[in-house]
Amino acid sequence: MDELDPVIHAQARLRIMAALSTLEADGSISFPRLQELLDMTAGNLSTHLRKLEDASYVDITKAHKGRTPITYLGLSKKGRRAFEDYMDTLRTVLGEQ
Amino acid sequence: MTDNSGRTDATGSPDTDAPLDPAAMYALLQNQQRSVETQMGAFVPYITLAWGLTWLLGFGALWLIDGLQPAFSLPLGVAIPIFIGTILVSGWFSAWLGIRSGRGMRGNAASAFTGTVYGITWSIGATALAVFGAALRYQGMSAELANFYYPSAYVLFAGIMYIVAAAIWHAVPSLIAGCWLVIIAVAAPFFGYPGHYLFLALAGGLSFLALAAFGAVHQRRVRRAANGGHHG
Repeated sequence: MDELDPVIHAQARLRIMAALSTLEADGSISFPRLQELLDMTAGNLSTHLRKLEDASYVDITKAHKGRTPITYLGLSKKGRRAFEDYMDTLRTVLGEQ
Repeated sequence: MTDNSGRTDATGSPDTDAPLDPAAMYALLQNQQRSVETQMGAFVPYITLAWGLTWLLGFGALWLIDGLQPAFSLPLGVAIPIFIGTILVSGWFSAWLGIRSGRGMRGNAASAFTGTVYGITWSIGATALAVFGAALRYQGMSAELANFYYPSAYVLFAGIMYIVAAAIWHAVPSLIAGCWLVIIAVAAPFFGYPGHYLFLALAGGLSFLALAAFGAVHQRRVRRAANGGHHG
């Protein structure tokens, strides 16, 4: 019946989505801080973020702190909805609803 | 992605892309959320510990002015600086840890407004209570009564601010601490001078230390559960 969103249904991307879902709506987090919170390598995090970005689940904005460029990441509206749908589907599959 | 260091994934990239069974994925999801929230709140027990010590030392110093008379008396010139100094150090420490925990985070405009208004309210309230106290003194409140007014007014105000914080940020420990502070603020004068200072030092200080210990144990438990939920 319900199919789990393949973009989210992978361990690394699920962890990224779960972490970003704890931010408030329209909130964002810098790439290094997210990497620290998830304890992932930069390469691995980048790879999976690109897949989430391709699905328009993640908003990426670039800012500058002095001369240092900083990349900020947050869930897009579509991403937040997709994550909620994913959780609902997972609960349905597990018979919690 | 700009921040690609080109490092290869030490965890073995094909595995991190593979899904687990639904139950394990659900556990992974929940553990990850808890892990992030715990890491974001890791500083809270340290702040609670600092304020516990501040209450013990600060109000303890005020009690020692007359509390052990005639055997011992802490000079007013020592007690007051200890009281104010510990509050300033804890305030600075709390602000520093709060800023540090928020590094790399950008909230929305609404939350920035809430945080700013909440922060400023501490200053407005603290100043207003001092002016109100001065007005009462001007109208004839005795120094003896002022000894009860100031500590109880500030503890009552702090308690209400903790309750407001609990309402804004959905923090149950803050609600418990706030209610407790309101209770001890209005109960303190019943202990008389200088017993009310000792009461505030112990009832406030020890409960903050207990809250800090409880918070630290709770965070360790959550962190352990989260670490068991994923590998790298």
